[in-house]
Amino acid sequence: MTRFLAASDVMTVKEAWWMYLLGGLVTLFIIAGSLFFAYKAYKRAKELEMPKEDLKKTIISSVSFSILPSIGIFIGVITMAGLLGVPLPWIRLSVLGALHYELMAVSVAAEGVSVSALTVENFVTIAFVMTIAIIWGAIFALFFFKKYQEKVIDKVKPNDKKSFANLIFQSVFIGMIAAYFGDAFAKMINYEVREVVDGAYTGVILDRTTYVPLIVFVSSFIFMAFFDYLVVKKNQKWLENFQLSLSMILGMAIAVFFGLGGIY
Amino acid sequence: MKDYRAKMHFYGRIFTVMGIGVMFLVPFMIWVVTGVGPNVEQLLVGVVALSVLYLPGGIIEVLTYGPILGTSGTYLAFITGNLINLKIPCVMNARELVGTEINTEENEIVSTIAVAFSSITTVIIMTLGVMLLIPLRPILNSPILAPAFNWVVSALFGALGYKYFKHHLKLVVAPLVLVIILSILMPSFVYGNIVIVVLIEALITILFARILWKKNLL
Repeated sequence: MTRFLAASDVMTVKEAWWMYLLGGLVTLFIIAGSLFFAYKAYKRAKELEMPKEDLKKTIISSVSFSILPSIGIFIGVITMAGLLGVPLPWIRLSVLGALHYELMAVSVAAEGVSVSALTVENFVTIAFVMTIAIIWGAIFALFFFKKYQEKVIDKVKPNDKKSFANLIFQSVFIGMIAAYFGDAFAKMINYEVREVVDGAYTGVILDRTTYVPLIVFVSSFIFMAFFDYLVVKKNQKWLENFQLSLSMILGMAIAVFFGLGGIY
Repeated sequence: MKDYRAKMHFYGRIFTVMGIGVMFLVPFMIWVVTGVGPNVEQLLVGVVALSVLYLPGGIIEVLTYGPILGTSGTYLAFITGNLINLKIPCVMNARELVGTEINTEENEIVSTIAVAFSSITTVIIMTLGVMLLIPLRPILNSPILAPAFNWVVSALFGALGYKYFKHHLKLVVAPLVLVIILSILMPSFVYGNIVIVVLIEALITILFARILWKKNLL
């Protein structure tokens, strides 16, 4: 009886109207903060007489580029909603969250928990763990970023074309892309999937291999080369802001195509 | 530049403190409304277990991505999150299009606007998704679409990779060879510890660039 009451309680809590209200508040906070910094940057850009076209390009490309990954992030909400309801995953994935992190938080904060066994105590513990353990980057930025910028980053003189400094940042980008190439490549050799049922890890690890991510990586690369050719050689300037999103859609479509053929 | 930056540090820190406050409001609110507090033992175990991974991860991220994101971009991104799978590539794409150099004021402006509009796009899509959850759930959950969003990050870095590889063809060799060897020898390390792999790859590329640069090969 107690368990039944506890379970029905947590049902109301995880879908409570005030949880949705909190989600709305978090959303408004992010929008307001983003607009504030964007406005400050815009004002500064005007002082520096940066071309308006550049700012427009930045906005259009950033919005169009962010749509697909954001839908991917939203799917995380659906994945977790089974166990935690909609508002908590919505909030967690809107501020400093990531699906694999949240799932890990669920598994360490309430080991082996299932939808029917979830209690309010589990729910509040999960919410705390999710919030605390991801915060370190923000705390570190809060206390040390300014010093790091003054002591390290500012030693780099980017405008000096002859200096090595300029290459450092390019190298970081290239290293990052290569790392993600490796991420796709490694899954061809071995790929362990932690099974998720109703928004929580079951503890079952499925051993697989897949070459789909590598194919997606390479085909998106090729599509991008094609769009780049259209922009640069065929003068299709309008494509410039959308080429990344289009290449991604086509790369992802190939994954769907393979999936239809039974290859995942 | 100094003035603007100092101001951005000031506002950025206020924003970070407010952001952390808003984040904590959620679990505390659940506690207050339900009257049920967290299980302290599970809480500690959970926080410690995850922090072992995410504390060094968070520090590495600030050190690696701070220069790319610029001043206000860093504060904004470290509250709004989704750095590696969204904010960083978004900034990389924007600065590639506009053609700004890292650590210049123009770059600070471009990266701030990119992070800001990327964050706004994400929260709007999330909110729309929540509002339209009932009709959307079967579509987004369909097994046909699943592979597309499973591999969205590979699509993203593949597409983004082209421009960077095209402009720095010589630099690509070392990190690619290394990551292929790593992937063959310890695949689960590569896809399981991407923050560390990014760091290793970045350092190797810098080292390789240094050698080529000294020999005047770049």
